[in-house]
Amino acid sequence: MEVNPLSIILVKSDSKGDRLLFRYPFHFQENNEPANTKRRNPYTLPNLEDLLQSPSQPTSNINKGHLTGFTDEVLSSLFAVKPELCNKKFELKVNDVRFVGHPTLLQLRNKQQDASGLMLINVVFALQALASHSVVTCYHDLSKRMGIALRYEEKRCGYVTEQTQTMTTAHDDGYASNSEAAFQTILKKCTLASNIKKMYEDLCSTGLVNIQINKWITLSFCLPQKVHQWHLRGKIVEPKDIDRCLKALRPYHSLLLLYPVQQMGDFTGLDGSPSLERMLKQYSPIKNLQTLAADADLTLNHVFELTAHLVYWAKATVIFPICLTNKYVISPDAPIHLNSPLLDKFSETFPASNLIRAVSDFALPTSLGQKCNPLCHPSQQSHLVKTIIWMLQHHLLLQLHTYIQYIPTDRGLVVARDRDDRNHMSSQRSVVLSSSYQPSASEHSRAESESGTSTVSETPELRSESDLLSRSINLENVSFTSIEEEKQDYQEELLLDFPDEERGNIFKIPATNTPEDLRLFARLCRKGYFHGDHHIEEIMYLENLRRSQLLQLLDKFRDVLITYETEDPAIAMFSYT
Amino acid sequence: MENIGYVSNHFEPNGQEGPIRCIFFCEFHPTAGPIISCQEPEQYISKELFDSVSVYIITKAELQRSTITVTLSDYKILGFPVRIDDKKYPRNAYHFNLCLVCDSNVRTVHYEPVVTKLSDYLMAMEIESNFLSSGKASTKLAPILKQVIEELNTKGECALTEGPTATHLKVVHIRSDPSPVADHQVPVFIKELPNQQWDLTTQQVTPYIDGFNHVARIAALSDVENNLVKACMQNLVYYGVVALVPLFQYGNVYCTTPHLKLLAHDINLQSRCLKYVAASQRQLPNFRDVFRMFAAMTRGTTIRDLCLRFNPSNLRVNERKLVQFGVLEGLIRRVHKYPILLSESSELQKSLSGAANLDEICCATCVTTQQLEDQLERDHNVVLLWK
Repeated sequence: MEVNPLSIILVKSDSKGDRLLFRYPFHFQENNEPANTKRRNPYTLPNLEDLLQSPSQPTSNINKGHLTGFTDEVLSSLFAVKPELCNKKFELKVNDVRFVGHPTLLQLRNKQQDASGLMLINVVFALQALASHSVVTCYHDLSKRMGIALRYEEKRCGYVTEQTQTMTTAHDDGYASNSEAAFQTILKKCTLASNIKKMYEDLCSTGLVNIQINKWITLSFCLPQKVHQWHLRGKIVEPKDIDRCLKALRPYHSLLLLYPVQQMGDFTGLDGSPSLERMLKQYSPIKNLQTLAADADLTLNHVFELTAHLVYWAKATVIFPICLTNKYVISPDAPIHLNSPLLDKFSETFPASNLIRAVSDFALPTSLGQKCNPLCHPSQQSHLVKTIIWMLQHHLLLQLHTYIQYIPTDRGLVVARDRDDRNHMSSQRSVVLSSSYQPSASEHSRAESESGTSTVSETPELRSESDLLSRSINLENVSFTSIEEEKQDYQEELLLDFPDEERGNIFKIPATNTPEDLRLFARLCRKGYFHGDHHIEEIMYLENLRRSQLLQLLDKFRDVLITYETEDPAIAMFSYT
Repeated sequence: MENIGYVSNHFEPNGQEGPIRCIFFCEFHPTAGPIISCQEPEQYISKELFDSVSVYIITKAELQRSTITVTLSDYKILGFPVRIDDKKYPRNAYHFNLCLVCDSNVRTVHYEPVVTKLSDYLMAMEIESNFLSSGKASTKLAPILKQVIEELNTKGECALTEGPTATHLKVVHIRSDPSPVADHQVPVFIKELPNQQWDLTTQQVTPYIDGFNHVARIAALSDVENNLVKACMQNLVYYGVVALVPLFQYGNVYCTTPHLKLLAHDINLQSRCLKYVAASQRQLPNFRDVFRMFAAMTRGTTIRDLCLRFNPSNLRVNERKLVQFGVLEGLIRRVHKYPILLSESSELQKSLSGAANLDEICCATCVTTQQLEDQLERDHNVVLLWK
């Protein structure tokens, strides 16, 4: 697993010189086999090229997941950096190992306030060089936090002086020949060493670090690349994927906790945010975020933030609220086979049910409404909902949404480029308008479409529509005008900004004879809902439409509106990309 | 094919490519300590900066001959410290390091072999003719460094003919390992096979890659052992010549992915798509028809159903090509069927455990999909999962 640390190393440097104080794991590696003895096939012919070129095997400093090939002295000389590099990110790659840390200078408590009283402390993580850039950044952050906590504790009570003293003594106490014994003693005596051990173990097992430095400062840290991959087998969730998901949060989404609410107490802890507790009290996977905010008496923005927090820490995921019309299918990488541990887990929660049978109901896109008939007993229905929630929590199901693509002519969009520009302009306009009440830039994209609708409907289009309404009423009153003329008139007006060719094609559709249909079509089309970016549910939410209205419209205009079903790319990322 | 598995374990994902900003040669001076004796372009790395990181450049004995990269806030310095032991030197040893400097946010792993080779070249010249230690290093070395940085940045390769031996440097881009190839996958050329001397297996196999033959069939047709064909395919996938798609059958089911919306917006993709899926190049199909066919692909709709509904030959669409294009571009995705046997029957449970899909089972047992599906349909203990 390339995100696990190979080793954690603690180095200090002060007026007495540099020293490696502690590293974990420190168990001595018996290096019997000489390095780089790849087993060769005895039958291979020696390749002539090989002899001439002798490609030197790249040296490796990793042996069975542990760091090898460096003595403690070398490590300490590498990590006791020059003052110019202090309080900055430190990154060094040697062969196939990447070291990352944040060298921190701290003022020793009982020394005078000059250069001799300064100590450099560097908590360095040895990673495989394969580790991606984002993993390195996360480890740097952890090292930086360690540094800040230690600096504070030194200032408060001289913690670092005391701990380093104990460690140095243990090294000097005649254990010089056997560093492992010295490290053992240090681990027993020093709380800082046991913190490092706990940190290493946490990082390797769950990716969630929770330690108390000097029983005083809580340091919690989450390595998202590790936390989010327990169910994905090898696929790594990068922090930017999570960001993308969080930017796509909408008020109609809902929160799905991955653990029972009762267990969340451990996570919120003693000094957790009270609003988080308030939100969890009101939590239900059937509520959308807007309702949840109202019920918990929090602002929607704050609920977004809390959701983002829970998602980042892999305590929750985002779904579309469970309702009768939701269509589910089996997630493409659902780990369902006869030997899957999930089978037993499912039967424990739902005795007398079989996961495979339950999942196989969703082989074809199936909605909850299709599964419950009116004769169905209410308890059956609640059981069904519970199993669906369970399967969503375990990322076995994926929800399908219907997207709509407007293709007016045989050749596609007539002036796709023009249209893109226009959309771009209108979206820019909505950003400008929305920024007045959006607190932070990061939420722009989220706000864009909601605010976009309100702004767009206030812009001239609305005026022209109301004009048109009054006009058509007038026309009705004037009895002399023929129906044919009337039709021409409002049609032309409604689709004025459409290219001629598109307009011609749209008028071939019989539904254009009904003013309401055409008006709705033109409105939705202008707002760019038919570009495959919005699913039906989103359009319903934003435009306050009923599903039947929208479905009728889609059916009437099916010659130019093509629908397809797929997952919502933003929120489906935890199960499939 | 010997290139398989060459991808070294020094691979560094994400991070952009970037040019070499500077190349410098530094040595351990007997009195002055570590100094930069030659730099191209001049004064790129300041004395102060160099002093703060010199410990990673002229290193302790244990770190000799290791590739060391140190990342600073603005620069990334990649070096390969070398020491030559000889009584003739003032301290009985001569230390030097040839370093490349790049921007701090770019990846440098692909330059590691270059640095190693260049260092070895300089070392050979030093041993033969005291090229470096004779004190005139800067005058002789500067043109070499200039040539290296210019040619590597522009051409990606460089040939040095200074001295008695010549050496060739080349930046080799590191790609990720290709995944193993399965019997039932179909290779498709995604670009023309580069015109070069391929190994015998590749020469024998490539004529049978037509976008429709699967790996096992290619092995049979070309009379090449199955595993060799797989290795060959893996090699071609690594070089981006071939992509693997699932076997086409009229009973297959595909579903749309969120990428389908790109097809409606990307004009370039549209025209490529129409050319690719056209039944004949003389008259291209309608874009709307093509999009409609893609959009109609859902779970539960086989290609056979689609053909009955749309009659692709009337629309001038070749349905095989349509599916192939969709899969290659990620607009659609194959939905596989995974049979699971729920009753107690140890023999069958092994193959029907849910870990293998119908394609894999059919290919392994040499049964047609139709036969297998009919048989599974009759057994009520078998559950088919579509995913």
